[in-house]
Amino acid sequence: MSATVLERLERLPRRNLTVLALKGIGTLVPGGWQNITSADALIAEVMGSEDPALIAQVRARADVLSRARHEGYGRALSLYDAVNRSQRAGGGLRLLANVGGAVPLLRRVADLTPTSDTLQAADLGLKVAAELLAFTQVNGLPGDSFGDFAAALADYGSEARVRMAALVCFDALLPLGDQALARLDELLGMVAQKDLRQLPAYAGMASLIPGRGEAAHLSFIRRGVDTWLGWAGGLVSGLGLSGQKAVQALETTLGPWQGRFDQMATFLDVFTDTYRHTGTQAVARRLVQRAAAEI
Amino acid sequence: MGRIVRWGLGLLLAAGVLLAGLLLLPIGEWLPGGTVGDVPSAQVVNGTAFNALFPEAGPGEQLVYTQEKRGFSEARLKQGDSTLALLAISDTTTAPEAREKFAASSERIQGWPLVEQGPQASALLVAERFQVKVIGQGAGLDPAQRHELLDAFDLSGLADLQAPALPAKGAR
Repeated sequence: MSATVLERLERLPRRNLTVLALKGIGTLVPGGWQNITSADALIAEVMGSEDPALIAQVRARADVLSRARHEGYGRALSLYDAVNRSQRAGGGLRLLANVGGAVPLLRRVADLTPTSDTLQAADLGLKVAAELLAFTQVNGLPGDSFGDFAAALADYGSEARVRMAALVCFDALLPLGDQALARLDELLGMVAQKDLRQLPAYAGMASLIPGRGEAAHLSFIRRGVDTWLGWAGGLVSGLGLSGQKAVQALETTLGPWQGRFDQMATFLDVFTDTYRHTGTQAVARRLVQRAAAEI
Repeated sequence: MGRIVRWGLGLLLAAGVLLAGLLLLPIGEWLPGGTVGDVPSAQVVNGTAFNALFPEAGPGEQLVYTQEKRGFSEARLKQGDSTLALLAISDTTTAPEAREKFAASSERIQGWPLVEQGPQASALLVAERFQVKVIGQGAGLDPAQRHELLDAFDLSGLADLQAPALPAKGAR
């Protein structure tokens, strides 16, 4: 709660594996991806003005807004943090399973680790649910009808196309294969309540998900994923995304990769923070758009 | 004698722990008052009330609502995939300093003071309380286009909104 959204934006890395992975995925999306880590540059872009006095005003207002707990900007970031921790922990387990299979002492660990597609599907479901929750925390419920709300969601998605493309590639196409989106609903149907509890992010998010108990949460996640699937399917067919293309795009920035696709996904889970990185940028942009209108 | 000293020390320790707890724990975080500028949210108009007052999108354009919070509603005017402008109505109750810039304004739209903020933003203060703003995006809009958009808002409807009373001057 201590750092404001814009401070966290400025702390984002300028060059590391996360940035390189996103640059790679950015080559698949028209317009590419820019790593915005300067609050002043973001404000100048939104306001269409380089005036330092104006920028300082917007920034002061944005800090007031992100310190107000009820406004939800900080809450959205803590959602992203929770998901990120979960992704790293889950990826670490899978990495251990991959390496551990070869070491006799560690083989038992390998046997214990959940590498199943079901768990991967639950992880993706949780990420999509976190995305929906963060959307309502940041943007409220825009418009007067469900149609308005759906339009707002689609608009948010197109503002953060690289973010969505990264989510689809890293968490669906690479680990689950090219038919991931078609299989997702079926896979989520197999997720048991205890699988949900195994995901570290779930503990952090449970209080924010509507409904009481794991069964209700699971059904919220499935409904959220249903809403998202239609949109994500359009993105996949529109950009022609596939596991193969994603790996090729990543090779342009990360260097050659000779392993399997799901190993690539594990590697990305453990060593990159793409979800949190682009999430912070998306929240910061929305916050600045509001602050610019309120000064 | 020993007992009194022990009791005294114990009480001192307890008081110390209590004091340290009060000073070090983030109690402020748990208290109500997480609202913008600590203005009670009951004094701020809900953003839902603003939605109906936005201008109609012209032919080939699209109005997409993007944010709605207490005291704030924002939409973007889009043409195809590109955003032409951000349109917003906000209640200045949580940002009284935003009203000051209108004191020097000489231009008016429908009788309400108009201010330019940089090359891409125009703002209007309605009923000395609601700020209506148009910010050109991407290629940008010229001032005449922005003023036309401001004029297209339902400004009289906005002025007539049943707003909760402003807190007395100087109270905050």
